[in-house]
Amino acid sequence: MSEVPFGGRTGPHDDALDDAASVMPIDEVGVLAARVVANVETVIAGKRDAITAALTVLLAEGHLLIEDVPGVGKTMLAKALARSVGSTVNRIQFTPDLLPSDVTGVSVFDQASRRFEFKRGPVFSNIVIGDEINRASPKTQAALLECMEERQVTADGTTYRLDLPFTVVATQNPVEMEGTYPLPEAQRDRFMARVSMGYPSAVDELAMLSTRETSSPLDRLDEVITLDELRGMIRAVRHVFTSQPVKEYAVELARATREDRQLRLGASPRATLQLIRAAKAHAAMHGREFVLPDDIDALAVAVLAHRLVPTSRAVGSHDRDSGPLIDAIVGRIIAQTPVPVGSARRN
Amino acid sequence: MHPDSAALTVRGRLALTTASFVLMVVATMSLGPLIAGGGWWWLCAFVSAGVFFGGAGLRALRVPAGLVPVLEGVVLLLLLTLLFGGSTSIAFLVPTPDTFAAFGELFTGSQRTIAQQTVPAVAVPALNFALALGVGALSIMLDLLVQIARVPALAAVPALVPVLIPGFLIESGVDIPVLVATAAAYLLLLRVDVRVMRRARIEQGDDEDVATVAAPKRVPVASTLGASLGVAATGLVVASLLTASTPSISTSLLLGNGSQGALFARGVSPFLDLGRDLRRPEARPAFRYLARDGDRPNFTLLTLDSFEGDVWAVTESPVDGDNTVDALGAPEGLGADVETSEHPIDVLVNEVRTTWLPVPYPSTRIEGLSGSWYWDDGPLTVRSVDTNTAGQRYEVTRLEVEPTVAQLRAAGDPRSVDPRFLELPDEVPPIISETAARLAGPAATPYDAAVAIQAFLRSPDFEYSTEAPVEEGYDGGGFEVIAAFLEAKSGYCVHFASTMAVLAREAGIPSRISVGYTSGTPTPERIDGVQRVEVDSHDLHAWPELYFEGVGWVPFEPTPGRGTVPEYSRPGAGQAQTSVLPTAPSSTAPSTGRPELDPDRGLAGGATDPLQNEAPLRAAVLLVVVLALLLVPAGLRVLQRASRRRRVRLGRGAADAAWDELSATAGDLGVAGIGATPRVFTAFLASRPGFRDAEALAALVRLRDAVERARYGPASDLATGGDEQRAANAAVGPRPDAALLGDLDSACRALTRDASVRDRVIAVLLPKSLADRIRRASGVRTADGA
Repeated sequence: MSEVPFGGRTGPHDDALDDAASVMPIDEVGVLAARVVANVETVIAGKRDAITAALTVLLAEGHLLIEDVPGVGKTMLAKALARSVGSTVNRIQFTPDLLPSDVTGVSVFDQASRRFEFKRGPVFSNIVIGDEINRASPKTQAALLECMEERQVTADGTTYRLDLPFTVVATQNPVEMEGTYPLPEAQRDRFMARVSMGYPSAVDELAMLSTRETSSPLDRLDEVITLDELRGMIRAVRHVFTSQPVKEYAVELARATREDRQLRLGASPRATLQLIRAAKAHAAMHGREFVLPDDIDALAVAVLAHRLVPTSRAVGSHDRDSGPLIDAIVGRIIAQTPVPVGSARRN
Repeated sequence: MHPDSAALTVRGRLALTTASFVLMVVATMSLGPLIAGGGWWWLCAFVSAGVFFGGAGLRALRVPAGLVPVLEGVVLLLLLTLLFGGSTSIAFLVPTPDTFAAFGELFTGSQRTIAQQTVPAVAVPALNFALALGVGALSIMLDLLVQIARVPALAAVPALVPVLIPGFLIESGVDIPVLVATAAAYLLLLRVDVRVMRRARIEQGDDEDVATVAAPKRVPVASTLGASLGVAATGLVVASLLTASTPSISTSLLLGNGSQGALFARGVSPFLDLGRDLRRPEARPAFRYLARDGDRPNFTLLTLDSFEGDVWAVTESPVDGDNTVDALGAPEGLGADVETSEHPIDVLVNEVRTTWLPVPYPSTRIEGLSGSWYWDDGPLTVRSVDTNTAGQRYEVTRLEVEPTVAQLRAAGDPRSVDPRFLELPDEVPPIISETAARLAGPAATPYDAAVAIQAFLRSPDFEYSTEAPVEEGYDGGGFEVIAAFLEAKSGYCVHFASTMAVLAREAGIPSRISVGYTSGTPTPERIDGVQRVEVDSHDLHAWPELYFEGVGWVPFEPTPGRGTVPEYSRPGAGQAQTSVLPTAPSSTAPSTGRPELDPDRGLAGGATDPLQNEAPLRAAVLLVVVLALLLVPAGLRVLQRASRRRRVRLGRGAADAAWDELSATAGDLGVAGIGATPRVFTAFLASRPGFRDAEALAALVRLRDAVERARYGPASDLATGGDEQRAANAAVGPRPDAALLGDLDSACRALTRDASVRDRVIAVLLPKSLADRIRRASGVRTADGA
């Protein structure tokens, strides 16, 4: 049985990804993924988890939200990933005065042809880095989020499809909230996963000082897989098998977040869907053509945590940063939810 | 919540309930050889039905699953109230505090009756109560295992309880047909469970699940068949082993003498009890009686009739349910021409607590007793199977036998009495046979010989003393003690009585020893003008009874200073013509006083405890039983392992079975409950030293991959998988099951290597994984992630 592709995305240029004639062997997906991770790691030392999560999201055709303080390598991660997979990358620095057309593009009047011509904005690339997305006005945020969801740009009645794969890597600073427009829950929900970079260890930081003295390491970064290979990997991920018990497990986890007494807002059905997609990518990256409950467990915090809102009582003495609290709640829910046993089992 | 238990339909559950009920009542049939009649079985079936179908009804009403066993307990209580509560309950259903008091009495009564009765036991109310309670409790347990824990295979455990009991108690053990029927009922339960589960899955499941069911990966019927045959075989083996090792075990021997501290509880050590009680510093009141016509009889508790050289003992005979005390049997051998008279005596027992009722010999009827009392053929002793003497108030009608000397002397050969009353062991010590020959030789008739023996023992040469003349362990009546007594000429009633009885047998007179009380001490108190007589523990006494053809059993009193010498047994009584015993001294006057008993001169008795002979046997039986019970978990585990290994070999859910076995082995060794999924558990195991060995680790990983694929992999892989997919999966694809078995062994070996010897022993004897299986049903995460 084949997975349902993204809703409504059945345009002609999907062929690049929907070609099911030749599915890349799952082992090769694992090998290529390992190659990409290793390559990015030469630039950002000691952040394997964040790199893996980013690649998982890329392969699962989702979008990534990186929440962390400035200067820990959020942009570097996105750029290094883009360069390693040979895709195009654009960076948008969000500011309060940024307009939607600054993101999507604008129609300008061409004197020569005496016609309006659409000038594509930075969103037209495989990987879009949205820096400090919470600094933009809600209107601009919404424009980007529409692109994320629809994978298309509509300007002056014309619809322009985005190149696939298309992944937005947005960053925001959770500490400095002055004069920002925090993403509403509905918009946070559009991101498949949220990760934190965290500060590097002393050793890694020291190593970084010496490597960056003269030039940007990005300049030396090679393209280790081609864009076509990336598309092949994504196709393979779509064909990863998800058994009924694992689906039930994902649903059970989502249900548990909705019923948890410490949570005001639980996971949406979209979250469940994205959890399964991410788990499929995770399984494929490990060279496995079926999803394990372990894949779900490994991704549950990254995929679910940023969508959940704790009750004020649960926040209690915690300060504004409720991240660790929610991570703990998700961890507890995972521990409490029985792992399903395959349908082949007796009893 | 167990995913399956919610899925069962009401109909499915009812089918399971019915199968469980059938199993329980069929298993209960195993008790048949132990209990007389069949009424008890219908009672058990009724109670069991109430519990099972009450539970089914509660489930149909959607009572929370956890509450059902509790409510079943309530149902059991109501049924017991209905059946046994009687007038103490409100409307026969609502128990009152009095009902519980009555239950308490019935329960203690049941313990007593189990300890006292021999098989087949009379189904007295107390026994019925215990049966109903036990079967009800087992039914609740069975229901819990089948319906809530969802481990119908373990239903064998409660069902085995009644099956195993006969093996402990009777030689033949349980009837084979019943055993086969029980095994069949067990199979039926498993079969019903399989069908019910399958139906439930089809009804609730989606296509995939149905497909799963269609491809029979679930309970292989052969496996349940094997398991149940295994259980039946285990039962057979255990039962026959017990039978072989316990030639004739009575209920009491196994379960101990339930009424600890009771006087003469089993009649196994009456002399010991007697000696101990006589030496008691302060006399403990035993009972009191009122005899309107001034009668002062001895009261017999029990009669010792068999002498085996070391010990006088009661010939064990089962209680005859027809021998109710409203009309006792006629005295043995009593001729019509012997003068008799009846004397009614009111007895109130206050302190003494024994299952033998103090009654004069012979008596004709007893009225006013509570509980179930039966008289024994022959000695006419009266005993209870479910209660004791404490607090009893009854009127006994004593039949006084007054033979004349002429009648006694006229008695011929003892033809009408059982020859066992004449039996003596071969090795009679010379002093005994010489004494007998010296006393009986000159006597013209058996009666004269008896009188001579009594006179000899009452002569001044002999003195009464509870300070035994010889070595420790004098509280007995064996040959050695009698010989020593004849040398030392000092002892107390036990010695006098047993000596006279042995000498009488040596002289050809049938004899036995009665143990009981002398007539006691009259008190100044009068009730309705009748003097009350107090009998206490210092009145305990033993005296010989001799049998004369045409007269029956006649008591004698060889103990100087104790009891009353019967008129007919005095030398010279009723005879003027010949003096058989010219040298016989005139007997001491009947004494109402008691010899002085110095509390501090107690004998360190007990060395000749008759129980000693049985103790090793009893210990051995208990040991075997305990060992057998201890080995039950190990046996179940072995069966489980064999069943899983066969599934691996045959490729029926091979990976699952292999993984189950691995995690069970780990659990047994105390390595469980760490991880949730095979992957996590594997990572945990891999960190153990046993898996530093690359081969073991590889085997473990292969097992993990196999189970992951079986549980979560695409189903088509295992059966028909597409070519390209098969190619893609070649590296980790389905493996030959033989290799899987090898991997399982390899991984289990690595696990065992790590464990200490102690852990390994525990793993074999008390496999924790069996408990985990039950716990798993409640949804707790365990190693194998269920």
